[in-house]
Amino acid sequence: MIIERARIKSNRQLAHQIWEMQFEAPNIAREYMGSGQFINILTVDDWNHPLRRPMSIASSEDGCVSIIYKIFGNMTRELTQKKSGETLELLGPLGNIFSKWDNGSYPILIGGGVGLAPILNLKQACDNNKILYTMIIGARSGNEHFIRHDPVKNIYLTTNDGSMGEEGTVMVPLERLVKINKNAFIFACGPEPMLRALKEFAVNNDIQAQLSVESYMGCGVGFCQGCVIQRNISKIQSHSYHEKYSLVCMDGPVYNATEINFG
Amino acid sequence: MQRKSTLGNLNIHIGNTLFENPIWVASGTFGYGTEAPELVDVNQLGAIVTKSITRQPREGNPPPRIVETASGMINSIGLANIGVEKYIKDLLHIYEGLSTKIIMNIAGTDIREYVEIMEMVESVSSVIAGYEINISCPNVKKGGMEFGVDCEMTAKLTETLRGITERLIIMKLSPNVSDIVSIGMSAENAGADAVSAINTVVGMSINAKTGMSDIFTTYGGLSGPAIKPIGLAAVHKLYKQLSIPIIGIGGIVSGEDAVEYMLAGATAVQVGTANFRDPGISENTIDSLKNILNESNRNVAADLIGSVQTHS
Repeated sequence: MIIERARIKSNRQLAHQIWEMQFEAPNIAREYMGSGQFINILTVDDWNHPLRRPMSIASSEDGCVSIIYKIFGNMTRELTQKKSGETLELLGPLGNIFSKWDNGSYPILIGGGVGLAPILNLKQACDNNKILYTMIIGARSGNEHFIRHDPVKNIYLTTNDGSMGEEGTVMVPLERLVKINKNAFIFACGPEPMLRALKEFAVNNDIQAQLSVESYMGCGVGFCQGCVIQRNISKIQSHSYHEKYSLVCMDGPVYNATEINFG
Repeated sequence: MQRKSTLGNLNIHIGNTLFENPIWVASGTFGYGTEAPELVDVNQLGAIVTKSITRQPREGNPPPRIVETASGMINSIGLANIGVEKYIKDLLHIYEGLSTKIIMNIAGTDIREYVEIMEMVESVSSVIAGYEINISCPNVKKGGMEFGVDCEMTAKLTETLRGITERLIIMKLSPNVSDIVSIGMSAENAGADAVSAINTVVGMSINAKTGMSDIFTTYGGLSGPAIKPIGLAAVHKLYKQLSIPIIGIGGIVSGEDAVEYMLAGATAVQVGTANFRDPGISENTIDSLKNILNESNRNVAADLIGSVQTHS
């Protein structure tokens, strides 16, 4: 875990309200362990916004790390104004990683919204290790997509409005494709409704799944205890700590689907 | 000669205890002081105030627990902690390896709980310098808040705990009262060594788009630079009436903020929310305080205490 003032190498728009920023962050890149880890970004130096913003690492190579971010509010809008050569302070790498994607099962990589960041990262890892996979990326509309719908290469896009790829959510191709891949293992990151649907699907169909969850974070290092998610445990003691709730920053953000409950 | 020997002197005293410097970290913003990341050298800190320890372990409140607000944040963690038994068994001995002072923060639902916790800690050997008594947590139904709003209850609790320990007792005051000074006076008269002020200010955040409250418990505790003026006023009012030291809390992010709190009357200060942004910020604040003192004619930090000039 390092705090590094990183030079912005590039900051470009990928699709409607979706941007990619690449940093020269050799120290964080050196400590980076794999897909799923995130950095906590100080987007402004003043104290009008006291907290950092956690963002998944979308790629890490040659001493650089990148993020993919969506314009959500003022903070992310300000991020789009940053020019290459400017610097931002990063804290990271934080969190755990997707695992077992190289254990012989067939990875189905699923990303929704900006949750595709660690999924693109995992895709790259699969490519590098010559592991076959299927990737499904969901968005509300075609203008939010920046990769190609390419079923021949097992890359499927979905849109809620049907303007690109298949109409509907990521569940549409998933339910079909999972049947032809007996040894499927789902790896997913995205908004809570998507992860909730995936969890239910994985549990009902007895498919292994690892989900990278989003959470509002205060610090990223375990101090504030703010980023909790409920664990899926049947017996909750009357007095306990860290049994019912897990800290996403330290224990996550990647969990087995059976491990957690969405509120 | 004498002036030179005190150059950049940051030492302060609370009761008979000497603290190397007045920059502490606030309860709930730095864990138990045993798990600090490599980003910070905890031994540089004036003191670490632990997160609140309760009689039994606590899971804390359901999420969402935090939200950023203008120049601040609202939290409603709900005193999530490991409980005093595990704290004594697993963590207390780790402090022996630290050179910074440890102030254990205690929260209870009734006097009996505070007493039990303190008696359990006092029954074992430890190096902790004292206790900060949380009588002001706004986020749990019985977070001690009924003590913190009532002079008699504050006095009774302080007096009872005074009978158990000779270590420092610091009563942590709530700003969510009509008269913080009278609560502080009660603590002083009942034997407290110091008071700390302020705990978080009750606040609420609403998402206009969704129509939802941003925090599960609806209300939470506002902290950060947004509450610094409230903290300064509380410290100054307390300083005018109390003779025991006051520890200033609320929105401290720099050496300058620490100086302002000391001018208002604080003997020491606690850095809180800022630790979430940068775990090393308290260490930087010590350096910055040192620089400010060196650049001014006042080289002794303690000389700042209460020396604000007011217009009337």
